[in-house]
Amino acid sequence: MTFFTVVTRGLMRRPVRTGLTIVGIAIGIAAVVALVGISRGFETSWQTGMKSRGTDIVVSNMSKGLTPKPFSDTVVGRIAPLPHVAETCTLLVDLISVEKAEMMIVSARQWGGFCWKNLKIVSGRLPNDAAERAVVLGRTAAEVLGKKVGDTLQLETEELAVVGIVDGGAVVEDGSVILSLPLLQGITGNQGKVSIIDLRVTPGTGKEEMARLCERITGLVPEARAVIAGDHIHNSQAYRMISAMSWGTSLLAVLVGVLGVMNTMLMTIFERTQEICVLLAIGWKRSRIIRMVLWESALLGFLGGVGGVLIGVMGVKILVTAPSIRGLLEPELNPQFLVMAVAMAVVVGVFSGIYPAWRSSRFTPSHALHY
Amino acid sequence: MFEASGLKKEYDEGQVQALRGVDFRIQQGEFVAIVGPSGSGKSTLLQMLGALDHPSAGTLKYRGASLADRADLASYRAHEIGFIFQAFHLLPTFTALENVQIPMFGTHRSVSERKCRAMELLKAVGLETRLHHCPAKLSGGERQRVAIARSLANGASVLLADEPTGNLDSENAELILDLLASLRREQNLTLILVTHDLGIARQAARIIKMKDGRIDSDALNKEST
Repeated sequence: MTFFTVVTRGLMRRPVRTGLTIVGIAIGIAAVVALVGISRGFETSWQTGMKSRGTDIVVSNMSKGLTPKPFSDTVVGRIAPLPHVAETCTLLVDLISVEKAEMMIVSARQWGGFCWKNLKIVSGRLPNDAAERAVVLGRTAAEVLGKKVGDTLQLETEELAVVGIVDGGAVVEDGSVILSLPLLQGITGNQGKVSIIDLRVTPGTGKEEMARLCERITGLVPEARAVIAGDHIHNSQAYRMISAMSWGTSLLAVLVGVLGVMNTMLMTIFERTQEICVLLAIGWKRSRIIRMVLWESALLGFLGGVGGVLIGVMGVKILVTAPSIRGLLEPELNPQFLVMAVAMAVVVGVFSGIYPAWRSSRFTPSHALHY
Repeated sequence: MFEASGLKKEYDEGQVQALRGVDFRIQQGEFVAIVGPSGSGKSTLLQMLGALDHPSAGTLKYRGASLADRADLASYRAHEIGFIFQAFHLLPTFTALENVQIPMFGTHRSVSERKCRAMELLKAVGLETRLHHCPAKLSGGERQRVAIARSLANGASVLLADEPTGNLDSENAELILDLLASLRREQNLTLILVTHDLGIARQAARIIKMKDGRIDSDALNKEST
């Protein structure tokens, strides 16, 4: 029999209560995994999308919404001549309801711009020119909308031909409806407006030069802000709010977990007062009693953490298949994050056990004789 | 082995005086029964001897050194003293074998050494066939034998027994007393037994009678075998 046997036996005294406490922690950790995983996944999806388009710098106004606010396309004339700017591509991006999909990315791109080059044709073709009243669908978008080449797609009041299905190399790209810029500008009444300017810098441009270029563009174009592609999503207030809310909700869930474990451990030690006094009477040190209680609460946290990660991962996997958000997110559930979630649960367990452990160490061994 | 001088214990800021100045000496290997009515201070005295509580005044020495000066009373309780309780106080979710191993945590014994030692002790108290039974599956007499084995786990030289037969029928009580007496003889243990039963106390070589927190009488028992 090892010390760990003593610890596990302590928890197994009340298996139902132990089980319920573990479920409580598991739900909290599942919430953390799901919310933070989705929020981080949203960021990753945007970044992967940028990367797949080969974008180095993004010029946009991400202040209010999840999608950038449109501004005049004349801005590009001020940016293109700047040093280190190799290529520009203007886009008008929106998140709108498309037929049966409640929310879908509609990405209109400057005809002939580099943002078309990452699209690999799975079936059909790309539009013939900027004026053709046609769209191509990312693979997931086609699946969600139930469309194939030759079908038509209702976009706002316009009916457009689906001429191709493409693989964009990123979840965001695969979940998008892609069309030429003038077409969407006309459909949405945004003539002369763009919401994003993707930039490619000249080869050999370093990070510092890119940062300086961003500052210069931001100075030249007050209606938008230039950021290095990887940081783009962080400029969105909406994203920052979602991220803060997910962490806030997670913290609340963790707090509930802390109180749950603390309550269980306090009940456990009060129920076992006589046992603990006997242990002290037969020579156990107070430090060993403290260790026993802390190990018990850490084990509760660990089991809750593992359960929470399993529930969270399964929940997120189910969630991303929901029609309303399919193709928009790629939850980030990497092993480091999952291990961190379990570690967080263990920390919650240990933290919650500190007060009960301290209380149990205050028992006087002479009470063993009073029972 | 033990030397008490002017030992006092007060509770509730002196409103309750459990011990009112107790003096005695106990030699190694002695079998001493402490008797007296409820509230006479016998259990309080046992607590002092087992370092479960501190005296309010007076000194209590063990092997010439004051217990109050000992830095590590847990070690004293673990290695020098073996406690036997009226209600056995075995841990209910552990088997007999595991209960006997519990005091051995913190010693230098390995897991297998702890197990072997526990098996030896349970064999010595006649429970080799009940090793894997939890307390709920053992009779009262068997539980007390497990408790006796547990008290000897770390090679204690003093056994402090608080009404060890109080929860047993007369047949089992007799068996437990015989076991304690034989263990004391074999291992030269000092056995200090608290009881209110004079019949049990008569088996001891020395009887200390307590009354109102004081020693009423302290005499060798001529009837002792």
